[in-house]
Amino acid sequence: MSDDRPGLEALAHEVRLYVFREAAETAHIPQAPHISRALGHTEADVRAALHALAAAKVLILAPNDGDIWAANPFCAVPSGFRVSAHGKRYWGICIWDALGIAAALGADADVTAPCGDCGTRLTLEVRDNRLARHEGVVHFAVPAHDWWNNIGFA
Amino acid sequence: MLLFRDEEHVDRWCGARDLTRGAIVTPEQAWRLAHGWYKDKLKPSWRRHTVAEAEALLRSTGLTGAFWNLRGD
Repeated sequence: MSDDRPGLEALAHEVRLYVFREAAETAHIPQAPHISRALGHTEADVRAALHALAAAKVLILAPNDGDIWAANPFCAVPSGFRVSAHGKRYWGICIWDALGIAAALGADADVTAPCGDCGTRLTLEVRDNRLARHEGVVHFAVPAHDWWNNIGFA
Repeated sequence: MLLFRDEEHVDRWCGARDLTRGAIVTPEQAWRLAHGWYKDKLKPSWRRHTVAEAEALLRSTGLTGAFWNLRGD
């Protein structure tokens, strides 16, 4: 697979569609063993595809084990940025992504996040593709040109 | 990008970390950014935004100036 660039691109496309469809439909992000079984590819090939997707900034891999940390806007692990939509609980890695989950799903959603300072939970409501209710302000700590270099902090 | 109760809480958070305040946007602006950025992410035809497209999205959200410069120049 690693020597077959067109094959890797096709597999990466297939893996991307599967990962994001699963994230949207189940609120869980599948990892390489699951993807391998579901799509009938070897786990090594799936991991190569995931690394290609990460290099293309389609998703983010955890630094240690190479599992998917976020298939943005969906976060693979629980976070403070919670989204309730379609009767499911999703997580984002930041408030932008939490709102992005509602946008990607095209669904009404309740988004809650803690105040970064005091932890008070704040609520935003998306209805009919509009922000129907909101509170608080959003702070971007990192200038735009550095966002991807510091994605965990931005 | 974090959500805060108000700007006073932003300043307290920055002060506790010896950080300069970044940029503050309204939840409505954040929603418009998120919608423009992610509304097509589940579509098979999705592709990453070009820099020009991302710049246009920022401009349309009213976010201009050095902080929002994506090119780093």
